[in-house]
Amino acid sequence: MSSKTDKPIMRSAAWRISLWATLAFAVGTMLVFAFLHRFVASDIQRRSDAWLSGEVEVLGDVAERTPKDALYGRVVGEVAELAGKEVPNKLLSQGSSNDSVFFLQTGGDGSLKLWVGAGSGEPNLKAIRATRIVPHRPTDLHVQGLAIPFRVASIRIDDGSYIYLGLSERDELRVLRNLGLRFFLFWLLLVLFGFGIVFFTTRRMLTHVREITEAASRIGHSDLNARVPTTARKDEVGNLALTLNHMLDRIESSIRQLHTITDSLAHDLRSPLTAIRGKLEMSLSAVTQIEQAEPIVSVIEELDRLTDFLNKSLDVAEAKADALRLNRVPVDLDELLRIMINLYEPSMSEKGLQIRLHSGGPLTIEADAALLHRMIANLFDNELKHLPAACTVNLRLMAEDDAASFILEDDGPGFDAEVLPHLFERRVKGKESNGHGLGLAFVDAVARAHGGAVAAGNRESGGARISVTLPVASLQHAGSPAAVKHGAH
Amino acid sequence: MRLLLVEDEIDIQSFLRSSLEEAGYQVEAAADGKTAERLAVDGQFDILIVDLGLPDQDGISLILKLRQQGLSAPVLILSARRSVDDRVRGLEQGGDDYLTKPFALAELLARVRNLLKRNSPPGSEATRLRVLDLELDLLRREATRSGQVLQLTSQEFVLLEYLCRNAGRVVTRSMILDKVWGMRIQPDTNVVDVHIYRLRGKVDGQGQQPLIRTLRGVGYVLKDR
Repeated sequence: MSSKTDKPIMRSAAWRISLWATLAFAVGTMLVFAFLHRFVASDIQRRSDAWLSGEVEVLGDVAERTPKDALYGRVVGEVAELAGKEVPNKLLSQGSSNDSVFFLQTGGDGSLKLWVGAGSGEPNLKAIRATRIVPHRPTDLHVQGLAIPFRVASIRIDDGSYIYLGLSERDELRVLRNLGLRFFLFWLLLVLFGFGIVFFTTRRMLTHVREITEAASRIGHSDLNARVPTTARKDEVGNLALTLNHMLDRIESSIRQLHTITDSLAHDLRSPLTAIRGKLEMSLSAVTQIEQAEPIVSVIEELDRLTDFLNKSLDVAEAKADALRLNRVPVDLDELLRIMINLYEPSMSEKGLQIRLHSGGPLTIEADAALLHRMIANLFDNELKHLPAACTVNLRLMAEDDAASFILEDDGPGFDAEVLPHLFERRVKGKESNGHGLGLAFVDAVARAHGGAVAAGNRESGGARISVTLPVASLQHAGSPAAVKHGAH
Repeated sequence: MRLLLVEDEIDIQSFLRSSLEEAGYQVEAAADGKTAERLAVDGQFDILIVDLGLPDQDGISLILKLRQQGLSAPVLILSARRSVDDRVRGLEQGGDDYLTKPFALAELLARVRNLLKRNSPPGSEATRLRVLDLELDLLRREATRSGQVLQLTSQEFVLLEYLCRNAGRVVTRSMILDKVWGMRIQPDTNVVDVHIYRLRGKVDGQGQQPLIRTLRGVGYVLKDR
């Protein structure tokens, strides 16, 4: 019962629920991380921009105050180099050459006047010329030959020249990339962890639901005494199990009530019937003339019909409520049909009817032998009463997967069109029928009590066709193996 | 033959009593389990008829109690319940019988006789049955009448054998269905009658004394005198 179901895990509800939950969770956390990442990126940018603006001011100030002599270049250059060592977000010292910072001064005519940094400075100048750089506002500068752009701040000094201070975004990007990587790994871990938790909790819950379903279906098939498993937890699933069990309690008690009612009804009717019949028989034995006996005999026959009607009505009523009590024993349908045919064949041939059995040999099922006898007797009685002479009844017995089915076909007039949709209802009978109209309802009731089914209709070539399917084994193996007596002793 | 009838319905008890007495039994009747127990302990009964629905106790428990006290006589159970419960089947297998209400009086009498016969020490296990000039060889499965071999099917032989074993007694249609075909059904067609007609056609030839008699509404008798 606690075995895992045969269906793959990917098709379970737990899997789907966790997949969707995880998707929502992943998108949500992804958005949060993206927002965080952006926030951190802009903060880093703001800090480096602030540094650039500050430094460029300082450099401009120094450049203005330093006399324009031979030492100018050296003084300004050293100040620029010193500034370059205080670069924010710098992760590692890059050795001697500092390529993350450049200082560039252009003359009034736009020519390169002073350069501090790696390389010749020409590509940087070219890039500066190509980019419109507004003083005091740091801008991205893409230098040809370098993958990583510089962040550049500029200032104009009094002599008409411009000072540019550039800071490579390499370190900043590296910080952000590191951060992104960490965010991603963390996100992945979180998502997997979340998926695991959701999957295992839903699966645990749904396993319980599945157990309830399995138990409930078993109860539907077999006995009403069983109950679905419950847990101590008072959650929705626990409540479901409790509610189902309450429902089963109620059903069981109403079935028991039905049994009590039918039993007492049967009893209350049977006793007077027995007394009446007994008295009639006694008065019959006192009668000496045939003419006087006639009405008594016909009353006795009426009483027997009434009894039969009573029995069948109660059986049908109980079967409709799935409450027919079965005493299952192994029954060979092939043998049973042969005995029934043996019993009915003379009456049929007397009426000019033929009956044939097509069977593949013994076919044993677990069933209530007495009910099957009555069911088949019903079917045969119907044929006997309603078929016109010279008709043939064909019976086929077949084994299907785990069911036995027998099909009865005749070449008579078939069912009336107007009764066809109501064949299994009580009290339905053809116009010329003299039965009490319980025949097929009873057949249906017996088949259903065994977990089988009956289908009835007309054949295309004319004639009736009734097929009865009965499961080979019942889920419930109750009932003592009471022997069916055969033959005389 | 002493018979104890345990039945609480006075109506049924009275007609059963009178018809059983008419059939030659000495009948003691009880209307409840207590009285039945007392009577059963005192008197030596050859057979008991017990209704399952007694006012003070279940008929089954009464039978079990009596059996524990050493009762060996056969018991015919009367039941108004439709589905015979397993315990009744168990008892029935133990050699007893049951009848569902309402029943034919003739059937009850026939079953009582059957039970008594079953319970009496068996005569040598006969291989031949003889009723007047009808003779059945049970080993060769052959029937003869006045020395003439009858052409019977095996089913007809079984039916005739059953009638012979109960010669002179009434057998009902449901008894025939039960003992010959092994089923308790009540067909609303004349299936049994047709079998009997056919058998009669073979057994009671022209110019011979008819042996198989029909009792309308009751059943059949194979005459033995």
